[in-house]
Parts: sequence; C-alpha cells; structure tokens
Amino acid sequence: MTSLDTRLFGFLACLWGSLLIYFYHSTRIRDYLDVGFHHFIMVGGIGMLILGIYSFINPKSQSEKNKTSQSCDHDHGHRDDEQHSHDHNHCHDHGDHCNHDHEEGHGPFVTILLTLAPLILAMTYTKDKLSNGGMAKKGLYEKPALTSANIPPFTREDLEKNVPKNEHGEFQLRMISAYYAAGDLEIQDIFDGLPVELEGRIAPEKINNESGDRLRIFRSIITCCAADLQIVGVALEFPGGSNRPQVEDWVKASGTLTFETVEGDVLPLLKIREVIPAEEPYSEFRRRQ
Amino acid sequence: MTQERQDQLADGSYEFLAIFLEGLPFIFLGTLVSGFLGTYLPRGTFEKILPKNNTLAVLMSGLLGAVFPVCECAVVPVIRRLVKNGLPVSCALAYMLAAPIFNPVTAISTYKAFNNSPEIALSRLAMGYMIAVFIALIVARKAHSFFLKESVKAENGNEHHHPRNLNAALNNSLRDLMDVGLYFCIGVVLTAILKTTVIDPTDDFWKELADNSIVGSIGMMFLAFVLSLCSTSDAFIAANFHNFKYGPKLAFMVFGPMMDAKLIFLYSTVFKWKFILFLFVTIFILTGALSILFETQILPGWMSQQTEIPLAP
Repeated sequence: MTSLDTRLFGFLACLWGSLLIYFYHSTRIRDYLDVGFHHFIMVGGIGMLILGIYSFINPKSQSEKNKTSQSCDHDHGHRDDEQHSHDHNHCHDHGDHCNHDHEEGHGPFVTILLTLAPLILAMTYTKDKLSNGGMAKKGLYEKPALTSANIPPFTREDLEKNVPKNEHGEFQLRMISAYYAAGDLEIQDIFDGLPVELEGRIAPEKINNESGDRLRIFRSIITCCAADLQIVGVALEFPGGSNRPQVEDWVKASGTLTFETVEGDVLPLLKIREVIPAEEPYSEFRRRQ
Repeated sequence: MTQERQDQLADGSYEFLAIFLEGLPFIFLGTLVSGFLGTYLPRGTFEKILPKNNTLAVLMSGLLGAVFPVCECAVVPVIRRLVKNGLPVSCALAYMLAAPIFNPVTAISTYKAFNNSPEIALSRLAMGYMIAVFIALIVARKAHSFFLKESVKAENGNEHHHPRNLNAALNNSLRDLMDVGLYFCIGVVLTAILKTTVIDPTDDFWKELADNSIVGSIGMMFLAFVLSLCSTSDAFIAANFHNFKYGPKLAFMVFGPMMDAKLIFLYSTVFKWKFILFLFVTIFILTGALSILFETQILPGWMSQQTEIPLAP
C-alpha cells in the first residue's frame, strides 16, 4: 500500500468507526440490534476509529518501504502450482526494507465508493423500523406454531404463581405467551376467558376484520439484529363506540383473552375492556429466552 | 415511486443497516486477530501443532469451533491470514465451515429454539461437522491453484521475514478490514435487496413446499441463502416454519451458516469463484441428502421412542 492508500483506508476505517459510535451514542442502535450487542458496537467503533487514526497519521513506514521496494529483486512471479512443493524452505530475508504487498485487494477509491454509497443510501431512506409490509414478512399476521407434549405441564397454579397482576386483577401476560397459547391446547384451556393485560405496539389488523372493529398489538422478538426479527401479535377486538389507539401507539391493552378459529387456524383474540397509553421501553425488542 | 416501492426501499435500508451494524464489529475483531496472527505467528507453527496425518488434522480442525467459537463473518479474515501463514487449506476449510455450527453458542440456541430438544441440536452439529470435514478432505487432494486466490497463496511457498511489530500488525489489520469489509458490504446489499424484493417467508409458495421433504429441503436451503442469518439465531427462525418437517429445518440450519448471500462475497476474499461455486453445489447436495436421510431414516426411530419432538418455542 502506498502512503496515500493507507491514509485513505484509514479515513474509511474512521468513517465506519464513527458510524458505529454515532448509532450507539444517538441510541438509534436500539432499533436495530439486541441490547446485548450495544456495547460491543461502541467498542468496535472506538477500535476502528483508533485503527483509522493511527493509519492516517502514521503511514510513514509504508512510504519508506515503498521507496526501497524496488531493491527487493527476488522474483515474485514464480509459479506456485501443484508441482511446486509448499514445504520448501525458500527463505529470503527482506529485512525491514521490503514492502512488496502480497495483497491484491481493491484500491481505496473503489472500496470507499462501494461501501459508502450503500451506507449513505441506507442512512437516507431508513425509517429505523420496518413498514407494515416488512413486519408482515416477519410474522405479524402469522398463526403460531403448534407446540407439543414435551413442554412441562402448565397449570392455573403456575399462572397464578408466575404472572403478576395489574390493579384490576388482570394477568400481565407476555405477548409471546398469549401468542403461542393458540398453538397449545392445554395452555389454551387455561388462558381461554382469562382477564389479561398485554403491552406492545399497535398495528392495523388484516385478519377477520371485515367490520373494521379490530386492531393488532405486537412485540418484536430478537436474538441478534433486526434480520432475525420475529413479530408476534394478538388481535384486539373493540366494543362498539369505544376509543381506539392509533397505529404505532405503544399501549397497555386489557380485556379477556379468547381464541377463535379462522380458516382452520386457531388464533388468539383479546376482547378489549380498556386500552391506555404506555411508556415506550428503551428497546421494544424482547430478547429470545 | 409507489408506496410499496418506498416501503421496500425503507425496509431494505433498515435490513442493510441492521446486518451491517451487527456484522462490522465482528469483521473488525476478526481482522484485528488476523492482522496480529499474520505478523507475529511464525511460519511453521501449524506444522508443529497439527497432527502429521492430514486426515486426522482435518478431523481435529473441524472440532476447533468448540474451543474457539466464531461466527461465520469473523472466521473468514482469520482463516485467510492463517492460510497465508501456512495453515493447510483443508484444515482452514474444515474450521471455516464447521465453526459457525459446531460451537457451544449455536448448540445452546438450537437446543432452546427446539424446546430443549437435544436430538435436533446434536443432529445439526453432527451434520455440519460431517459436511465440513468431507469437503475439507476432498480439498486436501486438490492443488491449491484450483481454489485459492493468488493473493492468499502468495506466501505459501516463501519464507518472508517481515518486520514483527505493532505497525506491521495494524497495517495488516487495516488491509484485511478493507478487503473483507468491502465484500461484506456488497454481500449485505445483495441480502437486503433479496429479502425485501424477492423473498417473503410467509408467502404461500414456501408453505406449499412443506409437504414434500425433498422440495422442502431445497426451498429451505434457498431461503437460508437469502436470509443470511447468524448461526446463533437462525434456529429460532427455523423452528417457526411450522409447516416444515425436521429435515428441511435442519437443511436450513446447516446450509445457511456455510453458504449465504453475504458469505459468498466474504469467501471471495480467499477463494476463486469457481471454487465457491463448487462449494455451493457440494454443500447444497450434501446438506439436502443428509437432511432427507435424517427425515426418513433417523427421525422415525427417535419418534418411536418419545411422544413428539417439540415444534416451536
């Protein structure tokens, strides 16, 4: 690498590092990655920044080597094919003067162009969340998978023991529990008709909503990043004349959990008693357990 | 631009940033390790460490992920530099392909995703290991010119005494970061485009593939290629394809960590494109065959011994 190449690559490393630090510092990172990765992003950003700055201000050895590289007169063009033993000890010492580069990577201008162009485009157009269509691809309107008898028995006593209640005596159930209950007959029996409170974000409802009296509440489940996002949702049915939240609102929805069969699929449905605005958590992703 | 196109652009940008932001620090970590290994690791180290018997060395290398667990993004720059430093390519390949699957983090996540089912987790690990080792043993019989890029094998036949100092290590790291980062970025762009414009995992098309294990396995491998998920999280996605049987789900979890849209570009920093094509076809055939074998021969035996293997978290 020439001195200029090193500086330009160092500059690009600084940009990448700054990008990571920016996402961390601005807390936008919470919309993209699981909380467990956030500090790693910052550390990675700082590391890249240090590497970039070091390379930017210290390309000295590179340029020095370049000046002497022409004196390195051994033949690098020798064939290294299958007939050529890889065990031979063809040892020649370059001392501190040889800077021939055994890399054939792209130059800094190509690398900068091909990495910054998509980054700038993505930064311009991202909304830090998925559209409704994007969320649908992540399972927003999907039925839960059927579970089986291998799960330890779950009883009403377990529910009473493990799930807290709000001031109205409604179980503050996790969304994923309500969602997957539709795939387990035993748990369905316990949950059916249960007074519950679910917390999450509101989306429009697209299943069995001809009369328009339904919305959907959902949570996002994540392991690493938004690429592995899975969205689980429960339909909300509002009584006539009741106030309804807006799409995208973060709410606590209370009511009676029931299950309905739509086109052969069992789906959870919360018949609403009350919906109140709730404070949005730092990260709306819930980590997979 | 229509609303649908605007949404696709926004979603594609979001997917791109999510994968890029998550992967870049791991790439950086990998290149930092590779830079220092390339500078300070004396040539001939591997000849001292690895068994003299090549088959045994490959078998051991495939297990290294259990001790040095790395994700599929970070492993590429590391093995790239190790190959330059004399690690036999067959051993590097065994480690590169097996490590994202044969490691404790992936094992635990698979175990959890399939409701504490050790059968699925063990099957995944065994399948990943077998395929990685099998391919590595094939490669051990081939000439380096068949698969290695010139830039990677350049130092194979020469003993160079480069300066071993911090400056050289950081320069190596920077160079590796730029090379691998570029291809990583291109791969993530491709992944984001495919995910937002071509593939919809909830589409009926995919659900209809589920009835047939052969077609289902092919479909799930294609899906894994496009979705480009981390090996530590893909089991949760696989578990939720409730229409699919276990064979296709295993195919998804084994093929993806070895070959996906972003990985082919990362692999291109080490291997020639014709070898990447060979890798793709070989992994595809082996994964498909083994997953169907699992579905038809092994799973029925397990099913008869217990009530049912759980289907979802």
